Amino acid sequence: MLERELKRGSAELLILALLEERERHGYDIGKQIDERSDGTIVFHITSLYPTLYRLEAKGMIEGRWVEKAGQRRRRYYRLTPGGRGVLVRQRSIWQNFAKAINRVAGIKHA
Amino acid sequence: MRDFHQRIDAAFAGTGLDRDILEELAQHCESTYETLRADGVSEGAAGARIDTLIAGWRANPNELDRVVKRAPVVTPPADTSRSIAAGAVADLVYALRLMRAQPGSALVTILTIALGVAAVTTLFSVANGVLLSPLPWGDTERLVRITETRGGRQGRIPGTMLNGSYNAWEEAPQLIESIGAYWGQPVTLTGAGEPARIETTPLTPSMLAMLKVDPIRGRLFEPGEGKQGDRVAILSYGFWEQRFGLRDDIVGQPIVFDGVQYTIVGVMPRQFRFPNADARAWTARQMPPVDMPNGAKAGTIMRAIARLKPGVTPEQANAEGTARARAGADAGPIAMSLFGARDPIQISVQDARTKLTEEVRPAILILLTASALLFATAIANVANMQLARATARQRELTIRAALGAGTGRLARQLLIENAVIGAIGAIGGLLATMAFNRALPAVLPADFPRADAIAIDGRVLLVTLLLSVMAAVACGVLPLLYARKLQIARALSETALASAGAGRTRTATVRALIVASQVAVTCVLVIGAALLGRSFVAYLNADRGYDPQNLLTAAIPFPQSYAPPERSSTALHRILDRVKTRPGVTHAAISTSLPLVSAGGFLSFTFPSSLRGGSEVDVETIRRIVSPEYFAALGIRLRAGRPLTAADQLTTARVAIVNRSFVRKYFEDVPVERAIGLSLGTGVFRNLGEKERIETTIVGVVDDVKQDAPDGALQPELFLSYAQVRNTYASQAFVVLRTADDPAAHVETLRTALHEEDPTLALDAVMTMDERVGRSAARPRTYATLLGGFAVFALLIAGAGLFGVLSYSVTQRSRELAVRTALGASRSAVVTVALKQVGVALVAGLAIGLALAAGLSKNLSPFLFGVSSTDWLSFMVAPLMLIAIAIVACIVPARRVARTDPVQVLRQV
Repeated sequence: MLERELKRGSAELLILALLEERERHGYDIGKQIDERSDGTIVFHITSLYPTLYRLEAKGMIEGRWVEKAGQRRRRYYRLTPGGRGVLVRQRSIWQNFAKAINRVAGIKHA
Repeated sequence: MRDFHQRIDAAFAGTGLDRDILEELAQHCESTYETLRADGVSEGAAGARIDTLIAGWRANPNELDRVVKRAPVVTPPADTSRSIAAGAVADLVYALRLMRAQPGSALVTILTIALGVAAVTTLFSVANGVLLSPLPWGDTERLVRITETRGGRQGRIPGTMLNGSYNAWEEAPQLIESIGAYWGQPVTLTGAGEPARIETTPLTPSMLAMLKVDPIRGRLFEPGEGKQGDRVAILSYGFWEQRFGLRDDIVGQPIVFDGVQYTIVGVMPRQFRFPNADARAWTARQMPPVDMPNGAKAGTIMRAIARLKPGVTPEQANAEGTARARAGADAGPIAMSLFGARDPIQISVQDARTKLTEEVRPAILILLTASALLFATAIANVANMQLARATARQRELTIRAALGAGTGRLARQLLIENAVIGAIGAIGGLLATMAFNRALPAVLPADFPRADAIAIDGRVLLVTLLLSVMAAVACGVLPLLYARKLQIARALSETALASAGAGRTRTATVRALIVASQVAVTCVLVIGAALLGRSFVAYLNADRGYDPQNLLTAAIPFPQSYAPPERSSTALHRILDRVKTRPGVTHAAISTSLPLVSAGGFLSFTFPSSLRGGSEVDVETIRRIVSPEYFAALGIRLRAGRPLTAADQLTTARVAIVNRSFVRKYFEDVPVERAIGLSLGTGVFRNLGEKERIETTIVGVVDDVKQDAPDGALQPELFLSYAQVRNTYASQAFVVLRTADDPAAHVETLRTALHEEDPTLALDAVMTMDERVGRSAARPRTYATLLGGFAVFALLIAGAGLFGVLSYSVTQRSRELAVRTALGASRSAVVTVALKQVGVALVAGLAIGLALAAGLSKNLSPFLFGVSSTDWLSFMVAPLMLIAIAIVACIVPARRVARTDPVQVLRQV
C-alpha cells in the first residue's frame, strides 16, 4: 500500500518536475524519466498516460495539440499555476522525507 | 513506416475512449518504435515491444479515460439519398432516442406543454359549454328571457316579471310566438318510502311546448291545465328511472308532492334539462290574474321566457312588452313591495343563453385570458429550453452542417423533434383536460349556470389540436433560427467550431427577453391571484352581523295539511321545546327566514311618526317572524332595549324589534336608544290580517345583519314574535340551533324531534351556517383557486426559465468566469457577474408586469370584496415571490460556478 502510494506520488512529482522546465509531450516525458534516473526508477510506461490524464483532470497540468513546422502534431503538456504550487509542496515533503530517512539511517549506522 | 493508428483503434474498439487519447497513444507507439529501430533493435523485436506496450494500456482502459462529461451520445440518422418520408421516419426515431437519452429534460418539456394545454383547454371547455353551446332545447336562437324593471329596479328576485305584465302580453302577442313562465319550488315527495325533498319546477302549460322538445312518454301540458283540482305532472327521465324503475305504464299514475296528488301525464327525454339539471319533475300551473275573484290583488314574480317571431329584434319586443304591461292590470302596492318603486313598468328581453350566463361570463373570460397568458409563458419556456438544447448540441449540429447537412435537413430534424414533443405534450394536455373536466362538477360552485353543458366536444378537441401545433411550431422556431445560423458557420468551415459560438450573445439576449416576459406574465397572474385570494379571505371573515360558527340550520317544510296557522306554529314550538333540552344545544329558535337561506317576507305600511310631528311615514321593510331566542341563537347584537321574550304573547302589548337601518331610514337616524318605546302605529298587524286596530311598539334595536353576501345592500328589517302573530302559516319554517360543540353532530337530534312530532315531516336543507357561508363563497373561492393555480404554475415556469437562462449563461460564459477566478476574482464577485444578467431580465420583467397588472387589475374589481384593485400588499407579493424564486433558481448554477475548477474549464473550451 505504502509502496504504491509512494510510487504514485513519485511519478506525479517526476512529471511535474519535468514539466517545470518546459512543456513536453508524453513520449518525451517517458524518455526523460528513463534517461535521467538511469533506469533506477522503474516507471511503467503503461501508467504514464493514466497519470498524465489524472494530473490533467486535477488541473495541475494542461495538454494541447501543437503543430510545429516540419513535425507531426503532438499533444504537449505544461504546468499550470495550480500544478506549480503542488510541485513546490511535494518537493518540500519529499525533501523532509528524504532528510528523515537519512537521519534515521545515520543514527543506525553510528 | 507502420501505421499504429489502426492497431490502437482495433485494440481499443468499444472502450469509448476519446479520439484525442487514441491519437496520443498511437504517436507514442510510433516514437517508441522509431527510437528502438534507431538503436538497432530488429523490426520484429521492436514490434513485440510495441505489442507489450499496447497490451499494458489495454489491461486498464478505464485509467485512460480523461473523465470529460458529455451529454449521452445518440448517433444521428444517416442521410440523405433516401426519400423524404423515410428521412422523416428516421428523424422521428432519432427524436425518440434523444428523448430517451435525456428523459428528464423531455419530461419537463412535455409536462409544461401538457399543463399549459390543459389549462387553456379546460377553461375553453367551460367557456364553450356555458357560453357558446346552444341551450339544450329546440330552435333556441329566438328564445329570450324577459325582465321587468320599474325605475331601473328589478324585482326582489332579479330577472323576473310580475303576473300582471305576463298576462297582458300573453293576451295580445304580436311580435312573440309564445310566452311561458316558471317558478322554482322544492317539494316533499311522499308515498312509498321515506319522504324526500326534490326540486320541481311549476310552469305554465305553454312553457314546455315553447322549448320544442317532445316527451318520450305521454304528452306535454295542454293549455288550461294546472288549475286548482286539476293537478298534472311530467317527470324527468332520471326521476322516472329512479323512482319508478322506468315502468311502462307511468302515464296516468298518481304522485304526491307536498301532500297534494298529481297525475303523471308524460316523461321528458334523458338529455332534457329545464331550467337546470336539478329539476326532477314539472307541474302545470296557471298564471294567476292580478285581480282575484274575491276582489283582492294577487302578485307573483316568476321567470319568463318568450319566443320571438322570426325577424323580430329585441328592441321591438321590448317596446311591445312594455306597452302591453303598462296597459295591463295594476298590481298596486304589491308591485311597490316587490320592486320597491312605483315608476312605470319597463320590459326588456335578452337572448336566453346570454341572460342565463351573464353572471359568470366576465369571470370565465378573465380566467380564459389568464390561462392563455399561462400557455404563452409555458410555450415560451419550452422554446427557451429547446433553444438551450440546440445550443448544447451545437457540436453535433455544427459538425453535421460542416459535413454537408443542409439547413433544410437540420431544420426538418429540429422541427420533427419539437413536433414529437409538442404532440406528446398535447396528448398529455388532453388527458389532463379530461381529468380536470371530470373534477369540474366538484370544483365549480353548485349554482354555476349550465355546468352540465361543459364537455369535451369537437370544438374543444380542435382547440387542443391548435394549441399543440402552436406549441410545436413555437418551440421549433427558435432552434430553427439557430440552425440557419449554422449555415454561416459552415461557410467558415475551417473555424466552424469556433464560430458556432459567435451568436451566443444574441441567443442569450433572446433568452433573457423570453425570461423577462415570463416574469411579467407571472407577475400579472400572481397579483391577480393575490387580489382574489385576499378578497376571498376578507369575504369569509367579514362581519356579517351574526356569528356563523357552531350554528346548525335547517328548513322544515309543511304540507298543506298544516295550513291552519295554529297547527304549524304549535308543532314548531313543540319541536323546539324537545330540541332545547338536549345536551350541547345552547339556543334553539325558529324563524320565517334565515341569513343565506331565505330572504324573509315583505311588509309595507304607514304610521304617524312622533319624530315628524305625527306626519305619515311610508314604510317598506323586510319582516321576520321569529321565536324569542332567535337573536341569541344567531349571535345578533342588541344595540338598545330588550330582545323578544316568552312573555310577549297575544294577550300582552304587541312589540317589535327593528334593525339599525330601520332606525336610520324611518326614524331620522336618531341614537338607537331614542327609538325604544316609539310606536309603529296599527299598520303592522292590520297588514298581518288582524281585524282590530292593534298598536305596535319598538322595544329593541339590533345591529344590521348581512343577509346574503357581506357586501350586499342593507335593508330595514322588522322582527315580530311568533307568539304574537296569528296567521304565520308559511310553506316552511327555519330552525336554528346554537351548539356548544360540533353543530353537525346535532342533525340527528333535530331529525328525531321532528319525527316524534310527525313522521311525515321531512327535514330540508340541513347545513351548518359555516357551510352556508362557505357555499355562498363558492364562486370567489373557485375564481381565486383557479387563478391561484395558474399563478403557482406560472411561478414554477418562471423559476424554471430563470434557472435555465442562468445555467445557460454560466455554461456559455464559464471561460470568462474561469479567467476571472484564475486572475484572483473572489467567488462572490464571479457569482455576482453571473447573476447580473438574470437580474436585468428580472427587474425589467417585474417593471412590465407591475405596470400591466396595474392596468388590468381594475377588470377584477367586480370580483373583489374588501380589497381594492390596487391593493399594495398584493402588488408587493408578486415581486417578492419572483425575487425569492429567482434566488432559489440561481443557487445551483451560481454554486456550480463558484465550485468549478477554472483550469478545467479553460482546458475544455
